[in-house]
Amino acid sequence: MTDVIVIGAGLAGLSASIRAAQAGRRVTLLTFGLGGLQLGQGTIDVLGYTTSGETGAGGSGPGPDRPVARPFDQLPGYVRAHRDHPYAHFSVDQVREAVDWLAGLTPDLLVPGDGANHVVPTALGAMRPTYLVQPSMVWPDPTSVAVVGPRQIKDFYPDLAAANLEKTAQVRTKGYHIDLPARPGEVDSSPVAYASSLDDPAFLKRFAELVAQAIGDEQAVCLPAILGLRRTDAWRQLSEILGRPVVETLLAPPSIPGMRLNEALTTQAKAAGVRVVLGSQVTGFESDGRVITAVTLRQAGRDQNFPASQIIYAPGGFESGALTMDSYGHVHETLFDLPLVGAEQKDLLTGDYWADQKLFTVGVGVDDSMRPVSADKQPVYQNLRVAGGLLPGAIRWTEKSGDAIAVTSALAAVDAVFATSAPQGGTN
Amino acid sequence: MFEPASYESNLLARASLDQCVKCTICETQCPVLAVTPLFSGPKFVGPQAERYRHGLVVDHSLDYCSSCGTCTLVCPQGVKIAELNSVARAAMKKGHTPLRDQIISRTSFMGKAMKPVAPLANAVLHNSAARWAMEKTLGIHRKAAMPTAHSHSFSDWWKKHTPPSAPTRGKVVYFHGCAGEFFEVETSIMTVEVLEHLGFEVITPTQGCCGLPMQSNGLFDAARKHVRTLADQLGVEPDAPIVASASSCVTMLKHEAHDIMGVDDESLIKVGSRIREVSEFLLDLADHDDLPLDFSPIEMTAPYHAPCQLKGQGMGRPAVELLKLIPGLTVVDAEATCCGIAGTYGVKKEKYDIGQAVGRPLFDKVREINPDFAICDTETCRWQIATATGATVVHPIWFLHKAYGLG
Ligand SMILES: Cc1cc2nc3c(=O)[nH]c(=O)nc-3n(C[C@H](O)[C@H](O)[C@H](O)COP(=O)(O)OP(=O)(O)OC[C@H]3O[C@@H](n4cnc5c(N)ncnc54)[C@H](O)[C@@H]3O)c2cc1C
Ligand code: SF4
Ligand code: SF4
Repeated sequence: MTDVIVIGAGLAGLSASIRAAQAGRRVTLLTFGLGGLQLGQGTIDVLGYTTSGETGAGGSGPGPDRPVARPFDQLPGYVRAHRDHPYAHFSVDQVREAVDWLAGLTPDLLVPGDGANHVVPTALGAMRPTYLVQPSMVWPDPTSVAVVGPRQIKDFYPDLAAANLEKTAQVRTKGYHIDLPARPGEVDSSPVAYASSLDDPAFLKRFAELVAQAIGDEQAVCLPAILGLRRTDAWRQLSEILGRPVVETLLAPPSIPGMRLNEALTTQAKAAGVRVVLGSQVTGFESDGRVITAVTLRQAGRDQNFPASQIIYAPGGFESGALTMDSYGHVHETLFDLPLVGAEQKDLLTGDYWADQKLFTVGVGVDDSMRPVSADKQPVYQNLRVAGGLLPGAIRWTEKSGDAIAVTSALAAVDAVFATSAPQGGTN
Repeated sequence: MFEPASYESNLLARASLDQCVKCTICETQCPVLAVTPLFSGPKFVGPQAERYRHGLVVDHSLDYCSSCGTCTLVCPQGVKIAELNSVARAAMKKGHTPLRDQIISRTSFMGKAMKPVAPLANAVLHNSAARWAMEKTLGIHRKAAMPTAHSHSFSDWWKKHTPPSAPTRGKVVYFHGCAGEFFEVETSIMTVEVLEHLGFEVITPTQGCCGLPMQSNGLFDAARKHVRTLADQLGVEPDAPIVASASSCVTMLKHEAHDIMGVDDESLIKVGSRIREVSEFLLDLADHDDLPLDFSPIEMTAPYHAPCQLKGQGMGRPAVELLKLIPGLTVVDAEATCCGIAGTYGVKKEKYDIGQAVGRPLFDKVREINPDFAICDTETCRWQIATATGATVVHPIWFLHKAYGLG
């Protein structure tokens, strides 16, 4: 019936499903809700900041040190300094190939990587490092920028972004408003409402006209990341009408670029023949010694067993409920009760708002073929592999590393299942 | 026993509101919010407003929620958003449910009333002056999709029907639903013929309405009564699977009566765990190499729409997988959220335009893929798609019936 069951439809689960289907396997993807892609920013992070302890960076103390310019060059040193990091399981080439594979899947949406990080403006006026960007986000290195937003959009303040970009991007900036509700009569519109309206050529034209009237002679225009939901060329048209580059500026979720990516990958998975079952939680499993024979899906009205020969578990981490902490302060993996790495650290949580919380380095330890292992490094189950946010050893939002960890671990898991050759070794 | 629409009956759903992390995923997928600023969206009227409700109404835009269930389906934290909304709406409308909502929520009454006068009923339903009058007096939009009345019910056919003499497999209980009895008689007959062709002994107990239309119009008392009676009726063969061709009624039995109205009678829980959508049932046979695949080819490309309430069962899209087994047939999943009818929502005068806007992406897809022929499991959605596009819209069983050479 099914060769592979993938649990979770975030970036890790979608990547694993597509990869296995490309290899000609019958795949069933079980997911409780939508994955985290549309909560991200629709770009692919590899390593955006090094955190203290890494070789070669100047700073010390907690938190991010420095933006990374060329992530693959820095990975070997970073992994030497962080031996429990998920990247320690992969060679640099493996990470690069995984990210390139993803870019190849969605050529309309992701600009192929050339080894260097991009920097993308955010609604707060930061310049955020990330590796693969959407074509609408390429920073044209201008000397002056107009930051423009509709007065009616939630959570985007052109003056604030402009003032900060002046410092972070070293450009001359000015903020401008236009008056254009996403829909007639609306005073407080969501990015989704704007993006859907901008799918309509007439609205796009009106939007462009108002922006053209508002701005001065700046070389480039930063607009909120709302430039089309279903169409991927809205930014290009705006750029043509305005006669200068436009750049999508990252907003708080929901992320329109993230929705585009989620949609594209889900469509690919289905087109590749993946059977997608959305809306039910995997709540249990059956095993025969060290082999899992079936997982149990809590569907409406009853529990349904899905027998499978291979299982790839990509449930995310704390944020999606795959890890929980009980009232005694003990951390658990909720489905298979897998052994955890890092859970014994002292002070898992601290009251210091700005400090990194060690809790988020807790996860399921694996071997290089992504099989969960016990303390003595023995696989817990022969046919269970883990990918994505459940892996221990990284605080992804500080480093900006979670996306490539998710894709690389997903491919490593699938390839380990099906490769004729042995899985590749770690970085060191 | 719970009071109608009481908060006790909704404790489980209420408890889930604390799981909301405000990720906005539900907001991005709600088909109503996507087309109108009149609705403040699932997160606002759901987990956010619920916290302040305590029996009071805090946001009347809740009435625009169509109860399609998409928000609950996509929420990665398990918040029972649509369920919360349904209960809150019932509380909001309690005591002043319009006459229209009381009439359109009684499908079997409508079917029974129209049957003896079917040609007349059809003439009225398709007469523009009469429809204008219905809009003015009842608030049923003049262009809204309406069923076609039949002079023969499924039961009339069943009485004259001779089952095959020697079934080779076990018994199945067949649940046709009210629409399958009065309006979608062909679908019911085809389902029985396919099941019998496969060797099952089909049993069709007397069966009433599941109560879903009443529930979605906030008439919980009546709905509870109906679903309990139906559960007893369908429980006749305790060991046989129950197979159905009415997917929204299946949803009611599988979980909505329990999750929304707090019905937890053992008979309902048992029936809910045994009932299967016919495509789900047949695909399960196929997955166990137990479905004969001697299909005649059907050369056709057709769009498929998965109804919201089928998606809400959290079992994927069995019809898509099943129809892949028929040679020559290409089924394209339209990947639309909702057709806009949402039970009886899209027929109401004040909701009609929203329903049409919700359904537009689907209608466009149907026109693009095959303007003449489409597939959908739920009858009200079929009427909606057919009315909007002019296409013939059939239940997936139509293809199995044909591919097995039965029609
Ligand atoms: C606040 C925050 C900020 C972040 N910022 C960044 C960032 O800037 N850069 C970065 O790279 N990363 C960031 N991350 C990390 C990000 O979550 C990961 O990079 C990545 O999205 C993880 O993808 P995933 O596929 O592993 O999991 P997810 O995207 O979380 O998907 C998991 C899926 O599995 C499903 N699931 C879980 N359990 C079950 C079950 N039992 N049955 C069925 N389905 C189940 C869930 O419903 C969900 O759909 C951030 C995370 C958080 C919480
Ligand atoms: S999807 Fe769920 S968790 Fe997210 S905002 Fe909606 S109800 Fe809250
Ligand atoms: S049930 Fe449907 S219409 Fe109502 S809030 Fe949820 S997604 Fe929107």
